[in-house]
Amino acid sequence: MEILAAPPTERFAEGTDRIADFLSRSRAVAHEDFSQHLYSHADDAAVRHVFRVASSLDSMVVGEPQVLGQVRRAYSLAVEAGTAGRVLNRLVHQAFHVAKRVRTETGIAASAVSISYMAVELGRKVFGDLKGRTVLLVGAGEMAELSAKHLISAGVSRVLVTNRTEENARQIAAEFNGEAVEFSRLAACLAEADIVICSTAANQYLITPSIAREALEMRRNRPSFFIDISVPRNIDPEVGRIPNLFVFDIDDLESVIASNIREREREAERAELIVESEVMQFQQSLRTLDIGPTLGALRQKLQDIARAEMMRQRQRLGKLSPEQERAIEALLMSTVNKISHPIINRLKSSYDSGASDDVQSWRDVFGLERDEKE
Amino acid sequence: MKPLLLTVLAAYAVAAIHSILAFVNKRRSAERVALWTLAFGFALHTASLITDWTQYGHYPLFGLRETFSFLAWTLVATYGLVIYRYRAQALGSVTLPLVTILVFIASVARGNSNAQTEAAADLGATWLFPIHTTLLIFAYAAFFVVFIASIMYLLQERELKLKTFSAIFHRLPSLATINNIATMTVGVGWTLLTLGILTGMVWSSSRDNRVWHNDPKEIFAALTWLLYLALILYRASAGWRGRRAAWLGVVGFALVLCTFFGARLLGGYHVFG
Repeated sequence: MEILAAPPTERFAEGTDRIADFLSRSRAVAHEDFSQHLYSHADDAAVRHVFRVASSLDSMVVGEPQVLGQVRRAYSLAVEAGTAGRVLNRLVHQAFHVAKRVRTETGIAASAVSISYMAVELGRKVFGDLKGRTVLLVGAGEMAELSAKHLISAGVSRVLVTNRTEENARQIAAEFNGEAVEFSRLAACLAEADIVICSTAANQYLITPSIAREALEMRRNRPSFFIDISVPRNIDPEVGRIPNLFVFDIDDLESVIASNIREREREAERAELIVESEVMQFQQSLRTLDIGPTLGALRQKLQDIARAEMMRQRQRLGKLSPEQERAIEALLMSTVNKISHPIINRLKSSYDSGASDDVQSWRDVFGLERDEKE
Repeated sequence: MKPLLLTVLAAYAVAAIHSILAFVNKRRSAERVALWTLAFGFALHTASLITDWTQYGHYPLFGLRETFSFLAWTLVATYGLVIYRYRAQALGSVTLPLVTILVFIASVARGNSNAQTEAAADLGATWLFPIHTTLLIFAYAAFFVVFIASIMYLLQERELKLKTFSAIFHRLPSLATINNIATMTVGVGWTLLTLGILTGMVWSSSRDNRVWHNDPKEIFAALTWLLYLALILYRASAGWRGRRAAWLGVVGFALVLCTFFGARLLGGYHVFG
């Protein structure tokens, strides 16, 4: 569990304590029982953490998108409850933006890392678009059905199901809006299927090279692609040697998944660079989020200019009485204030209407950024 | 028009580099840069060919320099069509560097000698000759795409069979897409080749009453024609696809190269291109 909070800068320590109190009260757990498990990030580190979580760089399997969904849900709850203020709103929106950039600009989520999704990925590699393709399920099983679900959402339009027990076949077929076919017609089914998922408890080969050849001839050499998730295997490995047929058993799939995970980790390094640059940008935009420092810096700047000019010309005025000194000072300051008044009003209204670009451009005009760095 | 051609060269080089980057890094942005610079280069290239035509007064497809430049132009055009239809940008990482090299050769090669220019003017006088050469150059470009698609097919099919995926695997289009590209381009290429050979025959018979000269280039062209015909017929009738068809696409291109270059080395009646 993670809690995002934006306490005022000067009361940061109090903020973390209050969150801990809240946890302890709401879950009725004593502080000591969980305090050593707490971790907290502040400033840059906090922003980076949120960005990395949303981009699923912080997940067990890098690139799995579930976390993003969780962040979305938590955020919409916060919005409903009215607990997300200006800073958090912006942070979370930016986090969504970063997650999107990471997904589209790196291949972090491009390759499958689960067996059931492998069918879709390999199917796409062979057939391109899966629209209008036919999948055949031989036997049943959780993994096979999950694969079929993924394939259907990827566009596969027709599902054939065959099983030693016809009743089972009918049941599964009904589930997928597919057709149950008698087991004796396996070869004919194979001829129609582009993708075959085999998962039975049989302890011999069901799909032999001769059946596969016969089917291939019937489908005029159009490639087809077999996944064998049954143990022991149901598809003779020899089938994989026939041109235009591709056979993957569970071991093959697992080794492909391992290599996909390595590929994702390589892509994650590029994603970290994106996150890093976004963190920097976000910090900059946060500065315009709080208008106070900007107004202060602006007043300070103008007053400094007035004082500096006064110092330069002071000698020419000769000796002045303390009263006169004060009058000159007051004159300068009221001039500065009169001039800066409309600017400050404008800044405030820009800020209230959320026009941070406008605020930024005033900062640029007066060179406030430069001064702060010095 | 050297400065124009050099700009074309620069644009193609940028496009080539970006399409390689897009292939290696899988970056959409690099892909877009490659496409836009390619389009820009192609427009200038077209302009350069037209100015050559008006300046030298003959169709800009004669002699080494012009042939290479024209070949590069046809390759870009063919690649553009494939991209438009199949969005298979991976082809660009091979095609565009080749295009760049061809334009580079064209820009450093000597221009045509006076004798050649006269010969060109002489040949170009009949309108059939430029049609003959243009058709054949486009056929070669199409066969080049078949060749690249076949190589990609073989690489990818091998990885699928061995079940070990290298970095290249994730960057190639699907087998079906590659297969479609090869099927389409081989049909187009073969049709152009047929028309090119026919126009050559008509032109030659009107020139010196001979349809066939037993010239090495003609023999190779006939072999190429037969081989691609066999490939098309097999694909259509026996559902002959996949690895074997891909191999034939590779062998066919070797024959195309023989027709294009080999015949020149062996000498004969054909000049070039």
